[in-house]
Amino acid sequence: MELTDFFTNYTLRTITLGTAVLGAICGMLGSFAVLRKQSLLGDAISHAALPGIAIAFLITSAKDSNILLLGALVSGLIGVFWIRGIITKTHLKTDTALGLILSLFFGFGMLLLTYIQKQPNANQAGLDKYLFGQAATLVESDVRLMLIVTGISLIILLLFWKEFKLLLFDKNYALTLGFNTRFIDGLISFLIVLAIVIGLQTVGVVLMSAMLLAPAAAARQWTNSLGVMVGLAAIFGACSGVFGTAISASQPGLSTGPVIVLVAAVFVTVSFIFSPERGILFKQLRLIRNRRELELKKTLYFMYDIVRKHEDVSRPHAIRILNNFQGFTKNTLSQLAEKDWITIQGQNWSMTSTGFETAANLYNKNLPEP
Amino acid sequence: MNPMLEIQLIAAVTAAACAVPGVFLVLRKMALISDAISHSILPGIVIGFFITHDLASPWLIILAAFSGIITVVLVEMIQKTGLVKEDTAIGLVFPALFSIGVILIAQNANDVHLDVDAVLLGDLAFAPFDRWMVDGSDWGPKGLWIISIILLISLALLVAFYKELKLSTFDLGLSSALGFSPVLIHYGLMSVASVTTVAAFDAVGAILVVALMIAPAATAYLLTVDLKRMLLLSVLFGIASAIGGYWMARLLDASISGSITTVLGLLFLTVYLLAPNKGLIAVLFRQSRQRIEVSLLTFLLHLNNHDSLEERRVAHLQEHINWHRVRANSVLDLAVKNNMIIIEDEVVSLTDKGLEFTERALDYIMTNKDEKIEDMKDDFFLFRG
Repeated sequence: MELTDFFTNYTLRTITLGTAVLGAICGMLGSFAVLRKQSLLGDAISHAALPGIAIAFLITSAKDSNILLLGALVSGLIGVFWIRGIITKTHLKTDTALGLILSLFFGFGMLLLTYIQKQPNANQAGLDKYLFGQAATLVESDVRLMLIVTGISLIILLLFWKEFKLLLFDKNYALTLGFNTRFIDGLISFLIVLAIVIGLQTVGVVLMSAMLLAPAAAARQWTNSLGVMVGLAAIFGACSGVFGTAISASQPGLSTGPVIVLVAAVFVTVSFIFSPERGILFKQLRLIRNRRELELKKTLYFMYDIVRKHEDVSRPHAIRILNNFQGFTKNTLSQLAEKDWITIQGQNWSMTSTGFETAANLYNKNLPEP
Repeated sequence: MNPMLEIQLIAAVTAAACAVPGVFLVLRKMALISDAISHSILPGIVIGFFITHDLASPWLIILAAFSGIITVVLVEMIQKTGLVKEDTAIGLVFPALFSIGVILIAQNANDVHLDVDAVLLGDLAFAPFDRWMVDGSDWGPKGLWIISIILLISLALLVAFYKELKLSTFDLGLSSALGFSPVLIHYGLMSVASVTTVAAFDAVGAILVVALMIAPAATAYLLTVDLKRMLLLSVLFGIASAIGGYWMARLLDASISGSITTVLGLLFLTVYLLAPNKGLIAVLFRQSRQRIEVSLLTFLLHLNNHDSLEERRVAHLQEHINWHRVRANSVLDLAVKNNMIIIEDEVVSLTDKGLEFTERALDYIMTNKDEKIEDMKDDFFLFRG
């Protein structure tokens, strides 16, 4: 496959556009799922959508993907409500409820799928793609549907932006302000279900949740602002879609879904490690730097203890009297000299007045921050 | 043995083997870890297959189970960085590992006797064909041996460490104070869950393992709060659905593991709706009764507060309390039936019994012992709301 194929090959262009749009909408709505600590709800919903697809096929025996997706939407919503019911009405916990709905609905869906496969009349070949996703089966009308859904969600998101934000970060406050939190809650859940259903054809039931989570989890590392996070997640999602499609198109036998998920996983890993504020790498570097700083100050304070006993602060002392203290090296001494806290002459060091002052105030918490 | 019986036996033993660790996963709020493990052992199984070229080899089971434990460790590592919450960590790890597994299978489709359908559904129907031969004599299907051994091991571990497991499940603080290492118990349980998942994976596939682990335990949990009884019930539910599922699959000519899950689902649905104390219907019934009895108490307190005739007229009360007509009628009905009030000439007054009930309830409310009102109701009420 050549790079230019993206621009000349009609099918590939459609597919790439489709996965990009899908990644964007999943990233956008996934941000809310992640922040609401409902990350695995997506996993449960996407599995719960399977029987809906099968039942829609059994009823209409049509392969029109819109009808199948409608079935998926209905059964996904039933799954959501049942999960809510289990959590609020019984003493079973969230994780059990999610696991139950996920596996039971999926099992029922698989039963129906295998049942359909045995039917003589069925032109069923297309249903398998909902398990792992076949981006190759995307056609222009599918992409158009995705674009419409994305547009509608975007409008709703913008319209209810402040309500969503408030619900996300301070639900009780939203309640006291008189917002209908149940409606807003339902709306955001509905949008998430919608995004999942739209993605089933491309990424498949099994891996859909990663599509929702990964871009959002990656975006979370770069910012503390909801708006920026949603935007970034959309970009990460779109990029995963495009790169994933490109890689899976370049090799035979690669399902699109798993490849997209792996690309998204790379985004997550990179974000976890390299994000400047929260990333593991910079956190570790900051830790090391702080530790060094502390060592340095410890050395300084040790020197201060020696100096303090003499009247003349800047009286030179031999470096070797520091020997019984482990916290110094040539390096730390030169660093201290660099900060103008001490001066070094041959084998002697002497403390400067700024050094004395700094050391004297080292444990004084009342000083204003420098 | 004929294959039909063998399949049912394998399914039943698998269900029992899954139910035992499942109970503890549900109780420890780690149900979704089983989902994560069942997905992420896939790359372990594929790589193990490259090495051993035998799906039933014990080495493959150990390798794959190890990748399950790696998942748990990975999830905990990501969680410890504090970058994301636990559920997000789970949701990030297993799809990535599962994707690697799916791609490995797709890339080596010719070498591996695994396909994606088998991954999701298992192939219980073919399990009896893989037989264990010793010196030319037939010892039965390999799968049955493996899962039976695992069931025996986990039962032995359960009996040996029953009190440690119980204690650390319900009171982690006390158990670590007494010196049972929580880490050891945690990873012990995870190892058993991983090994069981791998063995069951072969029979029922990745996602249905989750159903076999969680559903029987959750169903049993709705029926009892006694650990031993819960273990017993979930094993029974597992076995019953395994056998029921097999016959349903035969009837519909569909996937056995899908049918088993469906039976599990129906079982859970029934119990969820009908369980005597914790079922949906019982809960809703209790809630509505509670609501009307609270209304009754409010009403009686109101009467107690307002002595003058004028304020106890039905019309006035209706205006004053402002209840919906239906609700007001049912509250009045209940009060009259229980001899708490009498209505004369459109004036409501408390009977002696009503007065006593109200004053005792008021006492309890003033002293913050609201829960005692519940016991008192048994003494006073002839009819409940």
